[in-house]
Amino acid sequence: MKDEEVDEVLEKASRVAHEVEPALLERVAHSIHASLRPVRPLPPTWVLTGGLVLICAAVALAGAARTGFHGIAKLGLLERVLIFSTLGILAWVAGKEFVGELIPGSRHRVRPGVLLIIVSVALLGVFALLFRNYRTEHFISAGIACLLTGLLLAIPAAFLSWWLLRRGFAVNSVSAGLVGGALAGLCGVTMLELHCVNFEALHVLVWHTAVVPVSAAAGALLGWALRSRRKLA
Amino acid sequence: MDPGSNLDTLMARYQAGDFAAATALVERIGPQLHRFFLAQFSSRADADDLLQETWLRIHRVRHTYRPGEPVLPWFYAIARRVRIDHYRRASRTTARERSLEELPNVAAPFPRGDGEVDDLEALLAPLSESQREVIRMMKVAGMSLEEVARATSCSVGSVKQKVHRAYKSLREKMSVMGLKKGPSGGLP
Repeated sequence: MKDEEVDEVLEKASRVAHEVEPALLERVAHSIHASLRPVRPLPPTWVLTGGLVLICAAVALAGAARTGFHGIAKLGLLERVLIFSTLGILAWVAGKEFVGELIPGSRHRVRPGVLLIIVSVALLGVFALLFRNYRTEHFISAGIACLLTGLLLAIPAAFLSWWLLRRGFAVNSVSAGLVGGALAGLCGVTMLELHCVNFEALHVLVWHTAVVPVSAAAGALLGWALRSRRKLA
Repeated sequence: MDPGSNLDTLMARYQAGDFAAATALVERIGPQLHRFFLAQFSSRADADDLLQETWLRIHRVRHTYRPGEPVLPWFYAIARRVRIDHYRRASRTTARERSLEELPNVAAPFPRGDGEVDDLEALLAPLSESQREVIRMMKVAGMSLEEVARATSCSVGSVKQKVHRAYKSLREKMSVMGLKKGPSGGLP
């Protein structure tokens, strides 16, 4: 049997009309009639993505302004260009996917888990390329301080991002939380690159990069909690 | 209402608060969504409830549709969410909650004989739920690969793979059964 023949059989079988009680459709139409009023559609994806990237940049700059722009001051031109252009591109990609997660029927180029891997690997690649000091001093204590600083900054970034997309509808709240968390984590990493003067390779590779997956995991957990609450309701 | 009005025009008018457009959409999309639910749950009462719940949700989030975007994936993405939520609620009451993001990837029992399953569902019975869902969207709703990918939050490649595997299973099944194409294309 050929594909065309299977196709033909399926086409014929699917042509059978499906009857629905007219009263049911009438009930549905009347149920939405009472609250029918004009609504404003959401803006295009690029506008919302641009808004998200601007929020992340503003929050990272505000965080660094408070703690000091010590890190960027010590970075060379090539390092600045490579690190911040990578962060910008990753924030755009994550922002676009986050917008897609909150608009039903959007195109998804990558799955949320794959996006997280791409972001983490890209950051690891750039950091491994630029930082070659393999000494480690106060690896744990300095690292945890950076991780917490990055995560603390991810909170306002996540909150403002949610506020921008508050009219959206998450078809899958866990995926939306994961992607939103990754975006907020990128904001935290950006702030760390502006502020942190610890250029030890392992410190940057482990603790700075870890902000993204930890923040994404927190976002996914929050999404799961929201979904569970909705189910109970 | 002009019967030729296309869905995105109707959707734009629905967003503008036009009741006639909303009614036309319910009449045009409602039966498709009802069939989509009935195929999964086989109980007409469940399908009726899910259709109403879906329309309430569609109504609440109608501003998330952007003019110019494909309409059907938007409807089906919401319907799919409602269906998964219902499935989870139902499975919680019967047995320990199954961990799933997708519906179970197992074949349904072959023709159920309760008078609610049409020819297409009988043909699709040997396939996994994710394969059946993709074939239903393409054949019943007439969606393209790209639209199915949007509705199911998958990549086009993943949808193509499911279609390929589904056709392979159907080819084998139909060859074994010696299926002849009758007037309705149904089972012999």
